[in-house]
Amino acid sequence: MILDPILDVFRGKAVTIPPLDGAFRPNTRLDDAPVFAELTEPDNLLSSGDRLLASSGNAIHALAAGSEPVVVDTFQSPVTALALSPSGELTVGLESGTLLIAGREVSLPAAIRCITALAYADDGTLWLANGSDRHAPSEWAADLMKKGASGSLWARMQGGDFRKVAGDIAFPYGLHPVGGDVLVSESWRHQLVRFNTAGHRTTVLAHLPGYPARLSPAGDGGAWLTLFAPRNRLIEFVLQETHYRQDMIEQVPPAFWIAPALSSSRSFLEPLQCGGIRTMGIHKPWSPSRSYGLVVKLDQAMQPQFSLHSRANGTRHGICSVRENDGQLFIASKGGDCVLAVDLASGGF
Amino acid sequence: MSLRERLQSWRYNLVPDHLVGEILTKRWTDNAIPFLALVVTLASFGSIIPGFFKLSSLQESTRQLGEFSMVVTGMTVVMLGGGIDLSVGSIFALSCFSAVYVFFILEQSIWLALCASLAAGLIFGAVNGYLVGYLRLRAFLTTLVTFIFGRALFDILVTTYAADVQLSQATSDVLDFIGDGTFWGLSVSVWLAIILAIVTHIALTRSRPGWHVLAVGGSRRSAHNAGIRVRRTVFMTYVFSGFCASIGGFLIACRLSGAGPGTGLNLEIMALTAAVVGGVSLGGGRGSVVKGLMGAIIVLTMTNGLIRLGYGTGTNQMVLGIMLAVAVTIDIRWLKNRHKVLNEVYVAPVYLKMGDTQSAVPGSGTPYALDNRLSAADHIGLGELEGPEDVILDRDDHLYCGTRHGEIVRFFAPDYVRSEVFAHIGGFPLGLAFDKSGNLISCVGAMGLYSVSPDREVKRLSAETSRSWTSIVDDARLRDPNDCDIAPDGRIYFTDSTKRYDAHDWALDSIENRATGRLLVYDPRDGSTKTLLDGYRYTNGVCMAHDGKSLFFAESWACRVHRYWLEGPKAGTAECVIRDMPGYPDNINRASDGNYWMAWLGMRTPSFDLSLRHPDMRKRMTRRLPQDEWLFPNINTGGVVKFNETGGIVEAMGDLSGAAHPMVTSMREHKGYLFVGGILNNRIGRYKISGADPDWTSPASYWGAKP
Repeated sequence: MILDPILDVFRGKAVTIPPLDGAFRPNTRLDDAPVFAELTEPDNLLSSGDRLLASSGNAIHALAAGSEPVVVDTFQSPVTALALSPSGELTVGLESGTLLIAGREVSLPAAIRCITALAYADDGTLWLANGSDRHAPSEWAADLMKKGASGSLWARMQGGDFRKVAGDIAFPYGLHPVGGDVLVSESWRHQLVRFNTAGHRTTVLAHLPGYPARLSPAGDGGAWLTLFAPRNRLIEFVLQETHYRQDMIEQVPPAFWIAPALSSSRSFLEPLQCGGIRTMGIHKPWSPSRSYGLVVKLDQAMQPQFSLHSRANGTRHGICSVRENDGQLFIASKGGDCVLAVDLASGGF
Repeated sequence: MSLRERLQSWRYNLVPDHLVGEILTKRWTDNAIPFLALVVTLASFGSIIPGFFKLSSLQESTRQLGEFSMVVTGMTVVMLGGGIDLSVGSIFALSCFSAVYVFFILEQSIWLALCASLAAGLIFGAVNGYLVGYLRLRAFLTTLVTFIFGRALFDILVTTYAADVQLSQATSDVLDFIGDGTFWGLSVSVWLAIILAIVTHIALTRSRPGWHVLAVGGSRRSAHNAGIRVRRTVFMTYVFSGFCASIGGFLIACRLSGAGPGTGLNLEIMALTAAVVGGVSLGGGRGSVVKGLMGAIIVLTMTNGLIRLGYGTGTNQMVLGIMLAVAVTIDIRWLKNRHKVLNEVYVAPVYLKMGDTQSAVPGSGTPYALDNRLSAADHIGLGELEGPEDVILDRDDHLYCGTRHGEIVRFFAPDYVRSEVFAHIGGFPLGLAFDKSGNLISCVGAMGLYSVSPDREVKRLSAETSRSWTSIVDDARLRDPNDCDIAPDGRIYFTDSTKRYDAHDWALDSIENRATGRLLVYDPRDGSTKTLLDGYRYTNGVCMAHDGKSLFFAESWACRVHRYWLEGPKAGTAECVIRDMPGYPDNINRASDGNYWMAWLGMRTPSFDLSLRHPDMRKRMTRRLPQDEWLFPNINTGGVVKFNETGGIVEAMGDLSGAAHPMVTSMREHKGYLFVGGILNNRIGRYKISGADPDWTSPASYWGAKP
């Protein structure tokens, strides 16, 4: 409408989000996928040799088909990032801001307190994503609701020290080295950004329909992108509402905020949106939701090819990490307390 | 409370924002803009030009207005039928010429001249109508062609015969009277215009052909499907327009005693502008003769005023063009966006600080702590039922409930597998109660209070109460009658939850949270309905106390239960007995142990409670987000709570999985079982109450043992 620009001054712009369309067209593949292992809040997946490792709380578990998860290692605080160096050293980031390589603590610059992702490049460079300079990884929701953009990207050349490559990133949550550069998922800005070693940034993929989490390499040279929560118009609206948001942060317990979540509808104290009302026994799959399950395949140009979904009425929500291994895709659903396995060969994607 | 919060509470609780939306729901707001334009035009030209309203000046203007408004009336009818007639100017001119030719050159009588005029208009109108109506050519192009053709013909004729007309000796008293005379102070053309306008108005609003025109203009296809002869109707509108233009042409022939190259020039643009400025929609179907007349006055005042101010034809045309553009924009935008504006403006939230509440979280140790007991309930009518808001059982153990299809469904005892439609009422039957003689009394959402006799005769008891003095929308109408109960003397006490929203939009009322709920009483002895209490936030369930001396009613959005005294020292007053519950109360019913069952339709959430203290945030939310995205109370989890005579909570149960009974709007105890209904559910639950009296029934509790 031609008068919209004038009226917008008084009433504000309509809040809109990118539609789930094209490569993001919804399906129920995640809810249809078989459970590979039951695990409480599985976060990072890593394949080490022929083993599949998964972090859950303070522990790292080894998963195998048809057997219970086996605890491999436990730590002082929850594990927030996992990586494997080219020489096979297990690298672990903890909630407390500690980095362990092959069990030895590495001294870090004081600015690194929120390790959200770790990745080794082929030349042995270790990339580190520091989500925020004021919140721990578990306080991500607070960082989002306070409109945090204090994340940073760090790199350690082989034998060197950590060096800050770039700052002012709105919660870097995933890393995917591409040659000498690295692809970073910038969660709060819903985009994938490519950084070179000098810190120059180029946006590769913007306007994602969710909050991107970790990236992992795909067998065909592309990548797998997980989106841990959907964008939601009410949440984006609340992000614009300063007074309400501040009061909410101060007075409402974080679990019941109007904020993205890894799982939802578990307590009657959680916020509910009109579309999410159960009517005649049906929870509409397209209804607005605070949580969602979404894994996206990116091609070699880092453009989305297809995606796997668990919709508003599904349970495999809050996917933070996937790992492709031997023609199988393992998917860790942090909100659904399970690890799924999808056969890629027969995928029919 | 911070200063900001205090200011918010004043701003949103004292300023009546909701009135804007209520005014916009009125249909007369459609006329408001043209009427305002009319007043502004008259006032401004009247004040700028001295003597604008003088009688002599008006006399000449009104003659012109008479001719012009007839043309506009014709144009209005064509536009109402979904078309447009650009040829009115040339028809006007040709009719004028026909009259002049017959009278001055052929020297025939004035009546023959009138016939010639009418014939010219009707023929051209019929050509337009045939091409547009029957051959279905585009109205715009077709009438443009007839406009060009007619204008060219007129120009040729006028130049050929101009000299002959000047030399003619023909005179007539009738012609002079029509041209210059007045009748009761008004000129003939004005009288004719008024008569034509009245006849057309009556025809359009009160006759079959008029309705057909409006129907065709509103939706051609629907009109066709409804059996209206669309082509003929369209044809007739053009013939009528030609007829109107030709009378106008005849009148100007009488007034000017001749025809010149300027006759009817640009008339089509003026007429079109007048109709559109008046508010006749270009899309068809919306408008009226009065609107056309308003537009005619505006346009004529404007053009005459500009001429008298010394502006030339160019300026005049420019102003007309601008007016047309503005009017078309407003018309299209308004038509398209009216409901959007209404949606955006209608919800006008108020400030409310909810009291702190005890937790209902399982294991919290409070009396409100919900458990998962209701998920064990058996289901009745699963998949067949939609929306059993209330459930009730009769003396023979049959189960009744309302559905969202407007039916009362009866399930047969003892297994409740077989069912039938007991009665069809319409609306959305909500609260149910049996009176002493076994009639089923129901509050029907969007309709009123109804009674269904045992032999299924549906009777309306009440649909309105007295109107309050300050209401803009009619609040006498019962908008959302919700639950009822019957006193021992037969009077029916019932609630009307909100004056602001219709029954199916009940949840929206929680966003606004304005206190407009009422408690009413219907007296079967004289059929009167009285408002007892007003100004509660969504009055809901009603239940007579066991002793029949008072009743309990729920105030949903405030999470409170009140007791209203029917007799005793506090008769006629209400007091709050339960406040600040963690859930939103719905229906209340008697329990066998002397206590009361209360349904919770949903649970308070911290985020929603906080939003009640931020009315500005809720207001922006309703404007900037589609309704599906709005923040609601959590009505996906409900429960059943038992309270005692003094309002103490005895126990609470729920279905936390949400699979069987997410929202509970009613429950009824009967012979040791609790029957559970939900307005958004697809089943009735039957739950065995441990330790309940296996013989207790509600009809017996109200009306004594079986007679």
